[in-house]
Amino acid sequence: MDDLLADFVAETREMLEASEGEIIAWEANPADGSRIDAIFRFVHTVKGNCGFFDFPRLAELSHAAEDALADVRAERREANATLVSAVLRVIDRIVELIDAIEASGACPAGSDTDLIAGLEEGNEDGQLLIGESNAMGLDTGSASPSALGSSTTASTPIQRTIRLPVDLLDRVMSGVSDMVLARNDLAHRLRQAGNQPTIDGPFERLTTILTDVRDAITRMRMQRIETLFSALPRLVRDLSTELGKQVLIDLEGGDVELDREMIETVRDPLTHIIRNAIDHGVERPRDRLNQGKRETALLSIAARQSGNTISIVVSDDGRGIDEEKIAAKAIATGLITEAEHKAMNRETILQLIFEPGFSTAEEVSNVSGRGVGLDVVRENLERVGGSIKVSSTVGVGTLFTLQIPLTLSIIAGLTVEVASQRFAIPQSYVEEIIHASAKSLDCTHIGETSLVTFRGQRVPCLVLAEVLDLPDGEIDEANRSMVMLRLASGDLFALAVDNIHSHGDIVVKPLAPAVMKSGLYAGSTLLDDGQPVLLLDVTNIAALHDLVSDARTRVLSDAVAEEERQEETLPRAMLFTDFEGRRRAFRLELVQRIETAPADAIDRTSASPRAVIDGNILPLIGLPEGPLPSEKVRLLRLTDGVSQLLHAVREVDDAVALIEPLKPVADDALVEAVTLIDGQTVSLIDGHEVFARYAEVPQPAARPLCLLPEGEWASTILAPLVSAAGYDAVPRGTREESEKGGSDGALSIWFEDEFEAALALDMDIAQPVLRLRDHPDAPEGSQTIYRYDREALMSALQAARTPATKGEAA
Amino acid sequence: MNDLLVMAQIAGRRCALPAGDVKSVIELGAITPVPRSPDFIAGITALRSQALTVIDCRLALGFPVIEWATDHRAAVVHVGGHSYALMVDAIEDIATGRTHPENVPGGFGREWARVATGMVETAIGPALLIDMPALIAGPEPLGAAA
Repeated sequence: MDDLLADFVAETREMLEASEGEIIAWEANPADGSRIDAIFRFVHTVKGNCGFFDFPRLAELSHAAEDALADVRAERREANATLVSAVLRVIDRIVELIDAIEASGACPAGSDTDLIAGLEEGNEDGQLLIGESNAMGLDTGSASPSALGSSTTASTPIQRTIRLPVDLLDRVMSGVSDMVLARNDLAHRLRQAGNQPTIDGPFERLTTILTDVRDAITRMRMQRIETLFSALPRLVRDLSTELGKQVLIDLEGGDVELDREMIETVRDPLTHIIRNAIDHGVERPRDRLNQGKRETALLSIAARQSGNTISIVVSDDGRGIDEEKIAAKAIATGLITEAEHKAMNRETILQLIFEPGFSTAEEVSNVSGRGVGLDVVRENLERVGGSIKVSSTVGVGTLFTLQIPLTLSIIAGLTVEVASQRFAIPQSYVEEIIHASAKSLDCTHIGETSLVTFRGQRVPCLVLAEVLDLPDGEIDEANRSMVMLRLASGDLFALAVDNIHSHGDIVVKPLAPAVMKSGLYAGSTLLDDGQPVLLLDVTNIAALHDLVSDARTRVLSDAVAEEERQEETLPRAMLFTDFEGRRRAFRLELVQRIETAPADAIDRTSASPRAVIDGNILPLIGLPEGPLPSEKVRLLRLTDGVSQLLHAVREVDDAVALIEPLKPVADDALVEAVTLIDGQTVSLIDGHEVFARYAEVPQPAARPLCLLPEGEWASTILAPLVSAAGYDAVPRGTREESEKGGSDGALSIWFEDEFEAALALDMDIAQPVLRLRDHPDAPEGSQTIYRYDREALMSALQAARTPATKGEAA
Repeated sequence: MNDLLVMAQIAGRRCALPAGDVKSVIELGAITPVPRSPDFIAGITALRSQALTVIDCRLALGFPVIEWATDHRAAVVHVGGHSYALMVDAIEDIATGRTHPENVPGGFGREWARVATGMVETAIGPALLIDMPALIAGPEPLGAAA
């Protein structure tokens, strides 16, 4: 709450500074109506922000000033010097109160009726009254500074924050990015120059620091939208209590990250819209019950990132917007003519609420204003390239959609390659990646359109090289990869690319207008090596190829989805062909991922083969007898939630529903049942049996453990050598040892005398063991190694590693 | 008129770029082409952490595509909130404009008229002062004038 308060104080100050000039100009010439707007907005915002806090004095003051100014704006009242000075006095008081709030965190008690009375119209003898109030104002004025003084000295300083111009942040940010690139360059040169221990150390440190700084800087600009959301429940609660309504707030998508500046831009509009929704949209509980609705209204606010925009949807289930009322009001205020009205459809009419000077509320309330809100909302959003729309159904509810551009946002992206050039795709669109060779894809050409079959659905397929007018690469059709993209409208299409590269967070930067005009790109980003790549505008590409359905076909696709959902209740299995050409399947729940491992990641030296995937050593089954048929092997990564297992396959077919009955198999423990899929028999592998036999909790490929004897010599002289041999060196009998899994299977090194003593004491000595002796000359038949015989030590350490894995496997 | 000007050769002619518009002169690194963008956009390139749009000035003026050596250096300009790298024949020097930009009788020719502010005299001779936004906008699409 402290942050919120500090924000409030800072914002009020800032606005005041900005409108100070206007105030002075207005004072000089009260008849100049154009000056009022800025002052009006200032008091309006103060009034609005008070909704977050319990500051009745501020709310009263600002509301009174707003009322008076609104009358002037509506030309119900003429501005004169009396009014001007009354308003200025109110603003001064607001500033005093803000000062006090900043110092003590609370609003000092007191009365402002004198000032508020001064604002009232009809005080034609205002001069006298002002005179009086002036005296009273002075009174309180003289009282408060002393009160302030004492509280300032007494209060503990609140968390200090500073406001920085975003330019400066940008400069720091690009400076850090440049530093990263300079570091990469340096790293490259260092590698060329070979190992230089004196430089490598500091360089490593530089790298670590730079990574930290970069993270911090990125965080400096990016903020989760949560920070914006966190204030809303309180706002909604206070507003609904005040208005005698019951509103439940539902927040979604708080983890969407947004440029800090954007969050600031969205803050006010969002508050305005929520206030409007509760004030005008939501009915009183009794009215709701009469209409057969629940007593408690639901206000839901959802943030979603779709492509290059972030949309925030605020919807309520209130009374909706009455189109006729809006139209009548717009005609009455001269916004549109009767003839124009006839030509407008409902949607266009609804958007009129964003026009300046528009309001439908018959009563002016403390909560939402007189239309100052929505036109400012739109203005603010359009200034940053965003937009706002409203749709509403009478009696059902209202839905505001705010669109904010994503410039400078960080999004998860997938890098793809086509014709040797890389492009990025926002990860949020990617439904699945499929290798085109998979039989299940079933590419067909209908006229000029390519279709692929994805989960039993025919899906249009675009070839990225054709979309971009690039030459078709050497990659033939069968070796392409398909990226299945799901649009926000629910439409699915496949994009054929030559290769898939990495995915990771990318910082989207805007493109020049001439490039944007092509409609294919949403921005650019820099890869780790500093090479710029273009971010594809997926929605637009789909729209350019007529792949975005309208509402009618969306209903159809919903029906398809419904069918799919029914299919989903059936058990599903991952169908594959093993190296013996048999069609087999795993239950889909067991399959965590499909991996492709290079042959050298597979260790077949021991009885049970293993493969290293993501730094984990996993048991591997299903390999063919004899050499591997190709350099890369497709692996199904199976998991039961804890332990894991890899199954090598010749080909991954598809995920299928198990429609036909399962016929249990008795003679093969590894097969759970046989079933028919597309008219062919498939054996479904028994997950229980396979996991019982082969699965293991993944061990980090990291290092086997080596337990060292105690003592200075072991920790300073022996340990580095052991580490260099690829072991994790840990002193024996320490806490560290038990944390790292104890002595099971670990190599332990003993000094000969200690070892003998241990044997004599009948201690439990874990195998394997390496014994060291102090003298170069070994006694006959000794299995010890002289402790400075580096070669013998190293080879013993090496040798101990291989049998260790064998031992484990047995 | 004592404005600093960056002198460059574009399409074999001496041109002057207002030094105030030119933020720096960089060595052009690898250029990532932008498929299906107008011809005069050579691609994007990275200047440190920034992405620059590379403009081929000859094509931007509307001259036909022919082999022509370009400088390995490019002038970086900032127009309308975006940064561009200008590919020119050669970047020559920095000079002081001695006169106000003037028109010459007969004009500067079809391609040049659109981007020309006028002729300026400098220490190394007369040059055509270029209007940056007009140059960046690229040649008008055929038939747009009609």
